[in-house]
Amino acid sequence: MLFRVDPASAVPLGDQIAGCVRGALADGTAAPGERLPAARELADSLGVNVHTVLRGYQRLREEGLIELRRGRGALIVPGAAAPDRARLVTRLREAAAEARELGLTEEEFLDLARTSMG
Amino acid sequence: MTDVPRPAVLRTPLRVPLRLRLLTALPFVLAAAAYLLLSALWSDRLPGRLATHFSPGGEADGFTGRGAFAAVGTGLLLALGAGWTVFVRRNALWGAWLTAGFAGTLLCLVVHDNLDAADPAAVTSPLSHLAVAAAAGAVLALAGHALSRLVPPEEHDAGDAEPEPDAPRLDLGAGEVAGWSRATASAPLTVLGLLFLAAGAVAALLGPWPLLLVALAVGVPGLALARVRVNVDRHGLTVRSTLTPRPRVHVPLADIAAADTRDVDALREFGGWGYRVRAHRSGVVLRSGEALVVRRGNGREFAVTVPDARTAAALLNTLVARRGRL
Repeated sequence: MLFRVDPASAVPLGDQIAGCVRGALADGTAAPGERLPAARELADSLGVNVHTVLRGYQRLREEGLIELRRGRGALIVPGAAAPDRARLVTRLREAAAEARELGLTEEEFLDLARTSMG
Repeated sequence: MTDVPRPAVLRTPLRVPLRLRLLTALPFVLAAAAYLLLSALWSDRLPGRLATHFSPGGEADGFTGRGAFAAVGTGLLLALGAGWTVFVRRNALWGAWLTAGFAGTLLCLVVHDNLDAADPAAVTSPLSHLAVAAAAGAVLALAGHALSRLVPPEEHDAGDAEPEPDAPRLDLGAGEVAGWSRATASAPLTVLGLLFLAAGAVAALLGPWPLLLVALAVGVPGLALARVRVNVDRHGLTVRSTLTPRPRVHVPLADIAAADTRDVDALREFGGWGYRVRAHRSGVVLRSGEALVVRRGNGREFAVTVPDARTAAALLNTLVARRGRL
């Protein structure tokens, strides 16, 4: 799996790392059930702080894309649905960014999302 | 990636300093000289036919004429010396001294056993001579290791070599930092490792205990290599067992001239699975098939079988090119 980050970008480094995992899952270079590199190892590879990587992994866990197990590292959730879920999260994040640009509040955006579901 | 076999990578012969070759030949010349000198000094006290082979109990069971044994012994030392001198590396110089010390001492001891023998068949050679020869070899190995400091370290720098323009590249922004990481597993090594451990457990229960050591010595490294993680980043290429961070195989970025992908054949190219070293290439070979292959500064190849190797090769080439521009 390829990780690429740009320290000069406005996007936080942890989010950039999470984005790499989502992208790899969506395009098939990372498979469900695959183990992510240990946070310390990845931090050393990219020259970033280990807490930055852990923030990225934590975000992926909240999105239901990886499992974090004490002592066993980070694991992409098994099951065929993971790549589609990664694509969905990516589009949701894009939509949220667009909403922010349009000046929508969080509440308005969630209302909109709820309406779309109904 | 094309499936056409690419021409063999450039084979720059590794420049071995003359001083290293001389230091490698030296112990064999010394051992041969000592052996011939002792044979000549003792010539009046030696029988015409020497006992030259011994059963494990120490009784003579093989005989050679005195002159013939001098020639065979010298030839053996010189042949070993020639082999070592051709293939020597700086960090293996101690091995040449160990070999010369062990073989030379053993030959001299055999001649010594025959001193004043009326009947070669009555000559005995205790097994402890092997220990004496090993000790002499160990002392010379230390000397050889110390002498390797006289030789400058081998040049391991790819300099500003650039990958060919058609080599895979990654479109990486100027400020971007990238790393690639992938775990990969080997079914043959897992099966072999488990088989050896199971055989070791059976052997420990039913047979002599040293068999257990053999089984552990093969099974544990086999299992450790059955799952590895391959990392490509600003440090270069690193392959390590998923079980433990060390030992690892590391090719520093400064030592990489170019990277590519290729399908490797485990048996035909590397003679098996695991960590393999061959004349012009080494590799961590977990299966036949897609492999990341890097060409090192000294012209040797290092290969590791891993899926998605093309991305890894592209990143390496980009990092190498970026290094050249800095």
